[in-house]
Amino acid sequence: MALFKLHVPILDDIKTKGWRSALVTTVDQTVERITAGINVGEIRSILRGEAPKRPNPRVKPHADGFWMHMRPTFFHEQVMSLYPTFRLGWLTTYMLVFETITGLFLMLWYTPSPDIAYTNMLSLLSNVPFGLFMRDLHRLGAELMVMLVLLHMLRTFVTGSYKKPRQFTWFTGGVLLLLTMFLSFSGYLLPWDQLALWAVTIGASMAEATPVVGREVNLLVRGGADIGANGLLRFYLLHVFALPLIAFIFVGVHYYKVIIHGHSLPPGAEKVGEDTARKVPMERRLYFLPDVMTRELFWTVGWLALMVFMVTWGGWHAPLEPHADSQITPLHTTAPWYFLWLQGLLKLGDKVFFGVILPGILSGLLFVMPYLEVGPSRRYADRRIGLSIAALTIVIMSVLTFMGTPYYGVSSSPDQEVLTTLAPQTHPGLLRGTAYDELPVGEWVASGWNNAPSQGLQAVLELYNREIERYSDQLLNAKGKMSITEIQAGLKQVTMQVEWEDNGAHASEPVTVYLHRDSDYEH
Amino acid sequence: MVTRVALGTVFMVATLMIVSFTAIDEPARMAQFESGYHGRSVEAGAALYANNCATCHGPDGKGIAGRAPALNAADLYNGTRFREMGWGGTTHDYVYGAIAGGRPRASAAYAEYPQRMPTWSRDFGGPLRPDQVNNIVDFVMNWEETALLEVVAEKPSDFVAVGLDLKDPVLPAGDVARGEKLTQTYGCVACHMNPDMNAAPGPGWPAKYYSSGVSIAERAATRFTAADYTGKATSAEEYLRESIVQTNVYVVAPYAANIMPVIYGEQMAAQDLADVIAYLQTIK
Repeated sequence: MALFKLHVPILDDIKTKGWRSALVTTVDQTVERITAGINVGEIRSILRGEAPKRPNPRVKPHADGFWMHMRPTFFHEQVMSLYPTFRLGWLTTYMLVFETITGLFLMLWYTPSPDIAYTNMLSLLSNVPFGLFMRDLHRLGAELMVMLVLLHMLRTFVTGSYKKPRQFTWFTGGVLLLLTMFLSFSGYLLPWDQLALWAVTIGASMAEATPVVGREVNLLVRGGADIGANGLLRFYLLHVFALPLIAFIFVGVHYYKVIIHGHSLPPGAEKVGEDTARKVPMERRLYFLPDVMTRELFWTVGWLALMVFMVTWGGWHAPLEPHADSQITPLHTTAPWYFLWLQGLLKLGDKVFFGVILPGILSGLLFVMPYLEVGPSRRYADRRIGLSIAALTIVIMSVLTFMGTPYYGVSSSPDQEVLTTLAPQTHPGLLRGTAYDELPVGEWVASGWNNAPSQGLQAVLELYNREIERYSDQLLNAKGKMSITEIQAGLKQVTMQVEWEDNGAHASEPVTVYLHRDSDYEH
Repeated sequence: MVTRVALGTVFMVATLMIVSFTAIDEPARMAQFESGYHGRSVEAGAALYANNCATCHGPDGKGIAGRAPALNAADLYNGTRFREMGWGGTTHDYVYGAIAGGRPRASAAYAEYPQRMPTWSRDFGGPLRPDQVNNIVDFVMNWEETALLEVVAEKPSDFVAVGLDLKDPVLPAGDVARGEKLTQTYGCVACHMNPDMNAAPGPGWPAKYYSSGVSIAERAATRFTAADYTGKATSAEEYLRESIVQTNVYVVAPYAANIMPVIYGEQMAAQDLADVIAYLQTIK
């Protein structure tokens, strides 16, 4: 008796049925193994658009395969049109996977150390084919993911889908919202540019105000009194390991809850107090294979096309500011846009109350909202108060976000504001964006913009003049001076100074900008 | 479903096409980023120079007598200065090293500057990050082009090369000071003013840089009468002229032929050549 027996069934088949028939059978069986239950004939039937046989053979992969078992075999056709889901949940999940993949590519070129992180960015952009492309996609994906999560939450509130029995689904969604924001925020620091350092410094100082634990938590996350080598390494590990891991786990919990309760139908589709998502009549079923899968792939591909278009021909690029420098605080640094409302709140008063306690209460309320708001009806007409509160919240958040920007409540001297508009410290601005040859050597004044010898200089001086006039109540008889000299071959020095009268002559601190022929800020 | 599949396929093809177009443009984009970043580095260096370096080296890099030597000067870029320091690398690295580490003591050749150069890089206990030192180096190296050209302005449109002949054209009177600058512009000093005479590819000009302890002026005055002389010169001036324009006619051991290029007859005007010869004859 042999201990080891090799049996090749196709050889038997060839003997009994002949070449052609044996080959067809083998291919069919292989395809069926790979798809966990769908053979070639069924694939052809799907492609021809034929209705499935009874019983439906296309549900077999859901029972036998790992990936498909996570997806329901069918959906209610009423949740498969654009309304009520707008595909926001699906697209968010796609973004999480997309960020993981693009992030892995970026990790190849990155070292989490302040000595070299910024140099890594430069070599990624100058020496790695598709380096810019990948970085832009990753950053754009991060911004879009935060937007998608917020919209997804808004949609869930508006359609009342958080109501019993889906309260816990909402709760896990809240956790995922926080995780998404912190994933995006922790990625902010990694390029180690001025934007990174100061956005995170602002964020950390907000968190520092937390009573009792603020200082300790901050020390743990930053690894020191200021953000340095330890802080960068900790943010990096949070960004690439801890937060994604937790996010994937919570996506699992969240989706499990979504499936176990079924996708809630549009509010008008069922009687008040009823939840029929799990009882889908035969004739209203839309099977996953092929209809739902086709739709999901369609949205995925469309979304990818949109993002690729934006970062190439659309001209959207991830910002990269100068090397982080804790000695230089740029005028008008802001938190990331999704934390601007917090920055706006902080301008209202006490750091502890407006920066920690109030936002803490608000986000706490967000989490437990489904357990407090227990009105039985999901219909819009029955939820006027709730929907009004939602609309009001959006308005308040928008106002607070505006208040978080430098346009509100930031007191700096008007002469510095004028000069910062021309040559900002956080982005190139108009002056640096002007072509080298368009800035002729000489002494110029803002009010004489009309007589400037080149179009580029004219535009710069016009903006200069407009900004001075904006503050004409504070800058009396103001004169905006600009002196351009060429200090090296291909290097110009532009010095600007505002002079005005206010009980005597005043002059601003001169601001000097250097411009090299090759520096190419337009791109 | 058919519409979705069709539209999805269109999206996919469009995405791939955009990515392909991007791929074609990638080398140019990367090169552009590199030069753009170099430009920004020079700008950052200019600001750092104005704040940290200008007080000693002068705002225009021309140096300040008694404080610090010039950086906007030909000898920094043609190799004279760092060879004098015994440096074997590039000018860029020499400048980086000098800024990053500073000078523990003033160099012997620059004894008129008693202050020592401070250490600037954080790597050695200074105040600046290494990338900031790099910015300053980029700014300083940006002087190279004009510093080397400064000595001789661009060749005028009526430029006439002096040619290879020893007598025609007759040379005008030479200007010693201009000749000295020209030896830096043309880079002669790299080989002929090298203190390490055993390593230098060409014979040193001053007596102290030549094995037999005789200067180029004295050598020129006697060589054309030597028994083994293979050239056609009949005077010290003609001997020097021949050595510059027809470099391989007479080569003294242990130096080899074809090291010094035969290009100066085409590159120099009669006045340039006269100035250099006048300068060489004053070297002791």
